[in-house]
Amino acid sequence: MTNGILGKGRLVFLDGGMGTQLQERGLRPGETPELWNLSRPDDIRAVHSAYLAAGADIVYANTFGANAAKYHADAPLADVVSAGVALAREAVHAAGGKRFVALDVGPTGRLLKPAGDFEFDAAYDAFAEEVRLGAEAGADLVVIETMGDAYELKAAVLAAKENSSLPVLATVALGEDGKLLTGADVECVAAILEGLHVDALGLNCGFGPDKMLPFVKRLAAATSLPIAVKPNAGLPKVEGGKTIFTVGPDEFAADVIELVKAGASIVGGCCGTTPAHIRKVVESLGEWGMGERGNSSFAHSRTVVCSGSCVVEISTDDAIIIGERINPTGKKKLKAALSEGDVAYVLREAVSQAEAGAHVLDVNVGVPGLDEPALLDSTIQAVQSVTALPLQIDTSDPKALERALRHYNGKALVNSVNGKEESMSSVLPLVAKYGGAVVALTLDENGIPPTAEGRLAIAKRILARGAEYGLKPSDFVIDVLCLAVSADANSANVILEALRRVRAELGCCTCLGVSNISFGLPARPLLNASLYTMALGAGLSAGIINPLASDMMTAYRAYRALTGKDRTCCEWIDLFKDWTPDVRRPTSGVRQPSSGGQQPESGATGSRLSDAIRHGLKADAAVAAREELASGVAPLDVIDTGIVPALEVVGRGFESGSVFLPQLLMAAEAAGAAFDVVRTALPSRDGASVRGPIIVATVKGDIHDIGKNICRALLENYGFKVIDLGRDVPPEKIVETARREKARLIGLSALMTTTVCFMEETVRLVHENLPDCKVTVGGAVLTADYAAKIGADHYSKDAMGLVRYAETMFPAKMV
Amino acid sequence: MTIDEREICRYLRLQGRAPGAALEERITVMREQALKAIRPARVWRRFDDPFVVGGADSKTLKRHLAECHAAYLVCTTIGAEFDTLQRRTAATSPADAFVLQAIGAAAIEEWTDETEREIRRELKEGETLVSRYSPGYGDWPLEAQRRLFELLDAPRKVGVSLTDSLLMVPSKSVSAIIGVKTEVPQ
Repeated sequence: MTNGILGKGRLVFLDGGMGTQLQERGLRPGETPELWNLSRPDDIRAVHSAYLAAGADIVYANTFGANAAKYHADAPLADVVSAGVALAREAVHAAGGKRFVALDVGPTGRLLKPAGDFEFDAAYDAFAEEVRLGAEAGADLVVIETMGDAYELKAAVLAAKENSSLPVLATVALGEDGKLLTGADVECVAAILEGLHVDALGLNCGFGPDKMLPFVKRLAAATSLPIAVKPNAGLPKVEGGKTIFTVGPDEFAADVIELVKAGASIVGGCCGTTPAHIRKVVESLGEWGMGERGNSSFAHSRTVVCSGSCVVEISTDDAIIIGERINPTGKKKLKAALSEGDVAYVLREAVSQAEAGAHVLDVNVGVPGLDEPALLDSTIQAVQSVTALPLQIDTSDPKALERALRHYNGKALVNSVNGKEESMSSVLPLVAKYGGAVVALTLDENGIPPTAEGRLAIAKRILARGAEYGLKPSDFVIDVLCLAVSADANSANVILEALRRVRAELGCCTCLGVSNISFGLPARPLLNASLYTMALGAGLSAGIINPLASDMMTAYRAYRALTGKDRTCCEWIDLFKDWTPDVRRPTSGVRQPSSGGQQPESGATGSRLSDAIRHGLKADAAVAAREELASGVAPLDVIDTGIVPALEVVGRGFESGSVFLPQLLMAAEAAGAAFDVVRTALPSRDGASVRGPIIVATVKGDIHDIGKNICRALLENYGFKVIDLGRDVPPEKIVETARREKARLIGLSALMTTTVCFMEETVRLVHENLPDCKVTVGGAVLTADYAAKIGADHYSKDAMGLVRYAETMFPAKMV
Repeated sequence: MTIDEREICRYLRLQGRAPGAALEERITVMREQALKAIRPARVWRRFDDPFVVGGADSKTLKRHLAECHAAYLVCTTIGAEFDTLQRRTAATSPADAFVLQAIGAAAIEEWTDETEREIRRELKEGETLVSRYSPGYGDWPLEAQRRLFELLDAPRKVGVSLTDSLLMVPSKSVSAIIGVKTEVPQ
């Protein structure tokens, strides 16, 4: 079927612009074009016929906006879609020959979470309905076009594949910078679409064929699938309120020839193109065979994962870092954060690893007693809202894996499959369906083989099994497994041999959880870094490490400098230009103490710590706190006589109008940095603050969270325990969390008049269910009167107001 | 786009005072990051009917467009990647996030002013513009956003969409009507 329609080995001609043709026939701005399928069928049929007469093999039915999320006209959607497909079919019949009707699926016009508020599943449902209607009406293929968001694109492709058996062509609209609106470039789009097994992919709209050329070249290098192009008749120009396209048929066709030479094999036009443009393209290209597609086998053999905007290649020639920190195994704080629903903690872990240089982040939320499928799903979505790095979905629960893979924005790395039959038969089909690369653990029913030979054999078996599901060796990353050298003296030797042999004999990429090696031994970071260096030398593609561990990062940077990957050693120089034997990793902005060893003043003013906090110098405050501890000041005294009074001075300054919000926040952050230092010196307190907990959230419907974040930061630095539920939080979730955590105070934020109704609902629900729990509210549109009107217990005019209120409720001494 | 530092300080609500060295450094760092994330886009369209979006029953809009014989609808944005940067920053530093939102506010205002100057160049002889007016101002209901967005095809043209609660996403976006009236010689 596919070969007949989007076929390899020959050129396929698509039609040209529909919207611009309808505008010439009188379509007004803001009018719903799909309604013309019912009200002006002759016009629609005539446009199709003109394109068929010009030589198009495929015409797009007039169904671009016919999804329930976008379509709001009175006529039933089903009628509009079936009439649209039928009109194209009639034109095809009349034209005769081997021509086809495509159901045209355009975007919903809504921005998906986390960029907007629209749920992935809601987008999927809208597309699924359109696809079912189109397939019932007899479309020959599904065309998804003009997508500007990789995530919405994924929803549309899944909907097309799961609700019809028709071939799928997917094309995206790039901006002039070569990216989608949400940041994906062509390599990213290619990775996602290949993973989802569309039949052809490409570019439409955006700009003219000349500007499309470099991107088609890049696409040809990134995919082995047929490439479609549907450029505009040049860049749109607006003159006197009208959109005008300036590239005529001759120029257009000449440029399209270049696109075919670069690798495109399915060609047509988008906005501003006319039957005359298509006729000229068909005439000009009649003489041309297929263009040369160099390198497509190269594309086929690469291991690529991505998010919705960032591609990472895992290769046998260079190494990347997979950040291991979002994994609760052995991490008390993370476990607590996951149990409490404290998303902010997890997000900080994500961002700090990204800033430290990780390329992929592992996400594991396996805590006994928690609903792993739901938690993994929500955590991945939350992490994707703050980082563009691709994620490694780490779970042993196939249900959790499927849900996470489905909702993941991009093409994920899956951790993991192993040689056990049960694992292979549950994990491999999911990877094949949703796309991705998968970590293959070299263990099976008999455990971990003691030799490299044995581990290689399991890897081969997994690869062979993968082939049955259509997975290529490049879809796998082999984990040769790291056992503690204290338990098995030969462990590192086996690892290094296995790494070399997997690369040489299987041509596969490798990964390794490096830090297991030192289990049970002292000075673990030193051993870890040494094994890491050796493994990199043996060809390790991806170390699963802690990117915040400076020894590991130094080993990685050194490896890249020494093997010529860091060309001219720029990265190395940049990182270590200020290196001295005493200060191994200089932190920017840290001033060295002017004089060491003297007794620091621990009064509220004048001390270095106090100054650092009052001036909002984060790094300085941490250094000063460390100095005070080193000089023998008791940790609690550093807090009581250093940090708290300094923060209090700033807080009072804010209340009296001499200090402004940005300075208050900077002071709070500096105090926080000092707190963190002192907490490590407080034995057995586990860093937990003692007052609270206080729950903060931005109410349902509202995505503005700056005010809420400010409140959280200040509360934390005044010693309160805060559970931050994020933004757009449903009332039920707030009540449920407050009940579970026995919270006595909830802070709600709303910025818009349109979302205050949800604030009111939340307040009501809290009071009904938790009579002892107080609710304080704040936000741009609120006043004390309004807060009282919606039943809130308190109105916080700003973040300090909230702190003061919280102090009245929790009068205990800080820490 | 330059993003004037004085404007940033205005959005930081410093009430005319100097930011001080530490804050100034943060502004510089965050401004640099913002400039990398900003992808400005805009669309406008002229209509002969100043009430093309409706709103004839809004007293304030009627007063605002009283002397107008035409209107431009306009939508501008600094893009979705800025919001991603904003979320990422908020995860680690509320102070930086606060500075960043002020930078975003200054940026979208600058871009919209720039766009308005561009529109002025299109005016016919003797025409001038009245000030921008957005759904939600005065008694003009926010619901007018829906029609305004349809008329501009804003989701497709500039990637700005409406949420269920009629907020614009990306968040640093502006939508407005700008009336056209005949210039009265002074």
